[in-house]
Amino acid sequence: MKARDNPFCTDRVLRVRFKLPGMHWPQLMSRLAQLNYHAAIVGPHGSGKTTLLEDLEPRLIDCRFQLKRLRLDEDHRCFDRSFLNAFFANLSKRDLILFDGAEQMSRLAWRWFLFRARAAGGLIVTSHLTGLLPTLFECRTTPALLAEILDEVLEEDAQGIRAKAPELFRRHRGNLRDALRECYDICATR
Amino acid sequence: MSQLKIAVREDHTQFLPGDEIIAAAYWNLDGPPKSVEARLFWFTRGKGTQDVNVVETFRFDHPLVEEARPVRFRLPEAPYSFSGKLVSLIWALELVVEPGSESARIELTVSPTGEEINLDRPSVSANPP
Repeated sequence: MKARDNPFCTDRVLRVRFKLPGMHWPQLMSRLAQLNYHAAIVGPHGSGKTTLLEDLEPRLIDCRFQLKRLRLDEDHRCFDRSFLNAFFANLSKRDLILFDGAEQMSRLAWRWFLFRARAAGGLIVTSHLTGLLPTLFECRTTPALLAEILDEVLEEDAQGIRAKAPELFRRHRGNLRDALRECYDICATR
Repeated sequence: MSQLKIAVREDHTQFLPGDEIIAAAYWNLDGPPKSVEARLFWFTRGKGTQDVNVVETFRFDHPLVEEARPVRFRLPEAPYSFSGKLVSLIWALELVVEPGSESARIELTVSPTGEEINLDRPSVSANPP
């Protein structure tokens, strides 16, 4: 199968949005307000933390926040000092920092970051670890969630991929991002 | 509900590098637009991060709520349309109206043969035994 026709190509998978289990968005936003917009989205790799953070964005803009985005990952584990100086220079209470991958920072760097971020009106981070900020939401995956996403992505199940959901889930230890990448490879070999 | 359409003359979708594309843009909007643009661009689709490159943009002057206007683009010499298992490069024309998030798009093929280059097809030896 050509890449252009692969149902698991990146742009199609990115169209799948976060499925908030057992809760509605107003409840989540209410909890976030109770936490004074200082909170963490916690969960393992490929559990939807970044997707949830992205899906919060329009709702935070509706709350009149100006969003400032930061990201660290395993390839970029720290910020350049001059970058952070510029980032913090003009922060105001109207600003809300969305920081994806906060667990990459050392404890010391995190404390320093937290101190400087106090000028902002909010700070929401994603992390594999609890304890950086009060937990807003803990992302968890299940075989049923993977099957639901496969249903959303696939128009037809020519490869029998839906039936493989439990096996894919187990093999990738609940990492849905990696499971969906394997689905791409299965379709590509067709 | 707004209607947007962009179409190439005689519904051509296959072009040679350097060809001129003669297209028509049509829009019928719910309210007066701030801007209406036609864009010639290519993008990648596949397993990795998506790349997008807008090659040329044509902004329609003083657009009305409902109009049909011609637009012309000249294709560059490269890149060609291609597809493999990991990535495809796709050319497209797009009509974009602001404010709003609506757009219309048609996909094109650009290559010396007019066909998409298939990276997975086994190459034929120039000097067969």
